[in-house]
Amino acid sequence: MLAGNNIRKSFGTSEVLKGVNVQIKPGRISVLIGPSGSGKTTLIRALALLDMPGHGEVVFNGRSYQFPLDANQKIDPPWPDVTVVFQQHFLWPHLTLRKNILLPLSKRTDSHHIVNDLIDIFHMGAFIDRYPNEVSIGQRQRVALARAFALKPKYILLDEITSALDVEQTGTVIRHLLTLRDRGIGMLVVTHLLAFARELLARDEGDQIYFIDDGKILGSGGMEFFNDPGSHRAKQFLSSMDYWSANGQVIHKNSKR
Amino acid sequence: MNTFLQIISNHSEAFLRGIGVTIQLALIIWGSGLAIGTLLGILSTKYKVIIGIPTRLITFILSGIPVLVYLYWAHYPMQTILGVVINPFITAAIVLSTINIFSVSDQIRTQLIDFPEQYTIAAKVCGLSQRTTIFRIQMPILLRQVIPPLLTQQVIMLHSTLFASLISVEEIFRVAMRVNSIEYKPIHIYTALALLFIIVCLPVNGLAIWLRQRFTRNLSES
Repeated sequence: MLAGNNIRKSFGTSEVLKGVNVQIKPGRISVLIGPSGSGKTTLIRALALLDMPGHGEVVFNGRSYQFPLDANQKIDPPWPDVTVVFQQHFLWPHLTLRKNILLPLSKRTDSHHIVNDLIDIFHMGAFIDRYPNEVSIGQRQRVALARAFALKPKYILLDEITSALDVEQTGTVIRHLLTLRDRGIGMLVVTHLLAFARELLARDEGDQIYFIDDGKILGSGGMEFFNDPGSHRAKQFLSSMDYWSANGQVIHKNSKR
Repeated sequence: MNTFLQIISNHSEAFLRGIGVTIQLALIIWGSGLAIGTLLGILSTKYKVIIGIPTRLITFILSGIPVLVYLYWAHYPMQTILGVVINPFITAAIVLSTINIFSVSDQIRTQLIDFPEQYTIAAKVCGLSQRTTIFRIQMPILLRQVIPPLLTQQVIMLHSTLFASLISVEEIFRVAMRVNSIEYKPIHIYTALALLFIIVCLPVNGLAIWLRQRFTRNLSES
């Protein structure tokens, strides 16, 4: 399991995470929703140990990382067993898309085989030998996802990965995430699309959603969360997400299974 | 054309000596600038207070002094104050090298500081080792960004070697002026000088442009 216990993180005098507890189980999807500036990305970076939490504990498959760290204490981060796909993709601009996926696999003998499989899965054949600045944002996002999948991580943290994808591509991503979940990979998915969150959670009762606001988890649960989010703030936020999903026609509304 | 070749032929020894001095001077300026400047740029980023701040201060001061004034000041008043007499070639080499060192260090420091953090973050979460990150991610991106402006800077420094003639360094421009005072054929002599600089500088400038077009186009994700 990948878990954050009582995670606190401050930037200067501003406390962004105020004692957050989350659990990401193997083969399960956890969805994190919340308004802008609520601490979603900060939480992802803290769980991935990209930014060390000020206080609290990150547990990865029984290995505990306690914070704050002692002076001169160095830790062995769990990358790429825990990996992250960022909203801005972070592809290396001097390498072709194919090499972006291949580079982290350079020690593997079957790297070309893995990449060829991913090219088929993500339909990247038409643009895989181009550079990141020569393809669309949606295509870059697919490559960023493929690069993370190629690492065969145990946990993937996905930060707003569908923000630049159209409905069809979002549907493809959902299928891939569900396939990964079935292979035992645990995921934390940050999204602002309610329908996307519902689609992910609707398939399995073990999956869960967290609502974060002002650095605190104000609600969590399974599919029932959408009908009974608990706090007034969560209800308020869900209704605004529902409005934008429906009016923006991002994905069809009320996609309950 | 005959006159042109005749002048070159008559003064070939002087011209060759002048070219030799210019090349010597340029090699010292380029070598010290690129080697020490790169090292200073890296150290300025690593030791921001001890090395970074003084380096930036000196770069800022040097940027406000015209090369010629700095060269004259180092050749006349400074030597008088110190009570020493230094060979003009050495004075020119020190002055122009100093300018190049601090210009190069400033460019390296800026590129290192501005290096986009997201590429190293991506390398981390992909499990790349520090060595792979440096050699396969950071270095290639940095070199693509820094080489074209550094080449342009070196061409400017080559041009600046002409100022050395004004403190009596027998480089190619001084030789050309001396030959002209004998022959009084300014069109031929200075055209030959221009051609010489074109032969050396244009390929370097062309290389900088080619590198910029070939590599930096891939550095923007948008």
